[in-house]
Amino acid sequence: MPKHPFLFDGTWYRVDLVTVFWTLVIGAIVAITLAVVARRLDMRSPRGLQNVMEWAIEFARNMAGDTMPSERGVRFVLPFAFVTLVYLFAANWLGLIVTLEFEPAQDISWLGIHAHTVYSLLNSPTENMNMTLGLALLVWLVSHAYGLRHPWRWLKTYRNPMAIIDEVTNPLTHGMRLFGNILAGEVLIEAILKMPMLFGWVPTGLPLLIIWLLYSMFVSTIQAYIFALLLTLYIGHKDYSVAHH
Amino acid sequence: MGILEPGTMIVSVLGFLISFGIVYKVAFKPLANMMEQRRVHIENQINAAERDRAEAERLLAEQRKLLEEARNEARQLLDTARARADEQARQIVQEAKAEADRLLTEGRQLIERERAEAMNQVLQTVTELSVQLAAKLLRGHTSEAVQRDMVAEAERHLGELVS
Repeated sequence: MPKHPFLFDGTWYRVDLVTVFWTLVIGAIVAITLAVVARRLDMRSPRGLQNVMEWAIEFARNMAGDTMPSERGVRFVLPFAFVTLVYLFAANWLGLIVTLEFEPAQDISWLGIHAHTVYSLLNSPTENMNMTLGLALLVWLVSHAYGLRHPWRWLKTYRNPMAIIDEVTNPLTHGMRLFGNILAGEVLIEAILKMPMLFGWVPTGLPLLIIWLLYSMFVSTIQAYIFALLLTLYIGHKDYSVAHH
Repeated sequence: MGILEPGTMIVSVLGFLISFGIVYKVAFKPLANMMEQRRVHIENQINAAERDRAEAERLLAEQRKLLEEARNEARQLLDTARARADEQARQIVQEAKAEADRLLTEGRQLIERERAEAMNQVLQTVTELSVQLAAKLLRGHTSEAVQRDMVAEAERHLGELVS
């Protein structure tokens, strides 16, 4: 697991600075990219990136349409699903593009940095379990907030005690799945990068690295999709606006 | 708290929420609005096209009907005109015939009258001449009464001769 600098290190409320920093940076990247697209919207003849974004919205809409029981639910969940999809896509890819490491010569105590230890400064924010579990919890909260629009129907689903187990396992697996896949990808990349060179200059790990990068790109894309899909599914399960079958 | 870091969790979720808010405001809303606008636009276009088509079909049917009516009317008018013309021609011919008949009759009557008049004059002249001749021949040998009888007889004979 890559080492990160922390704010309030040593306390229970310590904050992983790399994760938080890149969380915000990914948000900025997505916002700026989409804002550039949105500034040059053309209703009649869409071009370039606008097509991609429209395709992404249509994709998210179909995804939501397949899992949400009502059209109102689709409209409710679409922005959340779309932004999450794009955001996670960018976030998952971030760790594959660049690796940045930092080895300080002296302690920086307020960041919890110790001298002569290698710190990773650039990782996907989704590589941190707390971030993905936080997102999963957010989805869980939103789904219940949505379900409580029909409190009586919401309550009736708990006549079956298995539903309570679901409430624990769903957000847990939702977050852990994303975290695990991305972490595995980045840890292995790091490990391959540390492979010793043959005769000191032949990069023996390069073919392996390329194969693993390609696979990680695939996994990153798929995991962004799966997270967004499960998001619509979990919120869709709490959509009681139509009678349950 | 072991490996769980509530601080990281809360701050990164806040970061995500801020990103979500910004992305939603600057990008998703305009994009979704534009797509909705396009959907409405396309829907309107399709509706308008359908409406126009129905209208065009209606107009075409109306035009066809009007054309058919006009054609019928023209045919009717033509028929009427032809009938009237025939009637008129017949009438004119009839009138002409009647006129000709009348003229013919008049001419005949005129001829008859002229002939009769001429005959009368001839008769009168012949009578007078014969009377004068007879008077010259019979001067002194006959009475007034005998002369009148002879004149009458001569007139009778001449009348027979004429008719």
